[in-house]
Amino acid sequence: MTGASNIFLKLDERPTIMDSAGSNRYTDQELIDQLRQSGTDKRRSEEQLFNRYVYFVREGMTKHALSEDESFNAYSDTILAALDNINKEHFEARASIKTYLYQIFHNKCVDLLRKRTTNKNTVHRAEMISDRLMQLSDSARSVVQTLIDKADWNRLREKLNQLEEKCRQILMFWGDNYSDKEIASFLQYKTADVVKTSRLRCLERLRKLYKTE
Amino acid sequence: MDNLDYIENYFANKPGTEFTREFEERIKSDPGFAEEVAFYLTAQEVSKEASGHEKKQRFKESYQRKRIVRSVPVRKLVYYIAAAAVVSGLIFGTYTFFRPVSSQQLAGQYEKERLQTLPVTMSGRTDSLQTGLRLYNDGKYSEAMAQFENILRSDTSNFTAKQYAGISALRMKEYDRALSYFEQMATHQGLFSNPAQILQAVTLMERNLPGDTAKAKQLLQQIVSNDLEGKEFAQEWLKKM
Repeated sequence: MTGASNIFLKLDERPTIMDSAGSNRYTDQELIDQLRQSGTDKRRSEEQLFNRYVYFVREGMTKHALSEDESFNAYSDTILAALDNINKEHFEARASIKTYLYQIFHNKCVDLLRKRTTNKNTVHRAEMISDRLMQLSDSARSVVQTLIDKADWNRLREKLNQLEEKCRQILMFWGDNYSDKEIASFLQYKTADVVKTSRLRCLERLRKLYKTE
Repeated sequence: MDNLDYIENYFANKPGTEFTREFEERIKSDPGFAEEVAFYLTAQEVSKEASGHEKKQRFKESYQRKRIVRSVPVRKLVYYIAAAAVVSGLIFGTYTFFRPVSSQQLAGQYEKERLQTLPVTMSGRTDSLQTGLRLYNDGKYSEAMAQFENILRSDTSNFTAKQYAGISALRMKEYDRALSYFEQMATHQGLFSNPAQILQAVTLMERNLPGDTAKAKQLLQQIVSNDLEGKEFAQEWLKKM
């Protein structure tokens, strides 16, 4: 590890300090713990993480000559990728969050410069789905992967937006890996079982919408 | 739906050897089933993507509020303009900073920015909540309130209906009624977002009876120290009040 990142580690490992806005600033570990929790704390911590290193946007503009929009998108995607990895416990805290985020951000900026004209989403999509597909054996996986590649993603996105709001919300929480119990508390359902039934009904409705011309 | 449940059981839990064999066999032999598996995974990814878009939108709003980035290509002339802007900014800022702003003005501004219209879903489906929201957005606050209170009669724990009933009452300047709904909202725990305290503070600031400003300040301080919804407004108002 470089000297510079050691300094970051020391700074980030200090006990609770105050940021410029006067709010509590958590140590890396506290922030990670909160991000792995559920409910309001989690949402607040997501925003805290976003705001903490928002100055990266400026670095993207000065160091990589990106526009403000591009740099903002690269930074938001960095935070979303980091949140995903923290949730899935893929982040092992070998480096400080700052170093970790900066690496992702830097790669995203470079990607953006290289691939301005290519469809980046396709690459991400394959990577993200592969997690689940890895559960299947090679032969079954290749059947499903072929069908996923053939799926009309734009149509599915469009149909998801046509669902009634509550259905859309349930599915978005599900997509974000929230448990049915957590969804029940967010959306005021009585039990997790009710959420599961409603969620599968919403999924079925989405499938019908997607299938009908 | 049975198949979706079955597919979910496979992906959500650690399937046993027998279940795995049976599940994979079906994928290979039943194209309809394989398509459902592909749909399940794609739908989850698309839902995740939609959630990501919403988060990005939230980040964008937060970023725009705290905008710290200036445009990069700076020419000499811009420095002069910037210097002039700083000087006038200082004069204007000093004037603005020292000019007293009443808490009623701040509350009124919040209402104008945040409560003028409430979000109605795009679906064609109509339910009491959506009807109430449409009435509210048409400025028919008492009719909207009747809809929300009707929902609360059959579902006393409905958080959203309480929130909208309170906001409708606030718009009708029925402050006590509004406060009663917002206080009830504050008792709901573990929600993804709960604006109960900021709404209570706004109501008190607008009502402006003796002691209201002090109570509102107390609420705003709680919002800031507990990092609750509306923190940015609370921080700004505390400086001005």
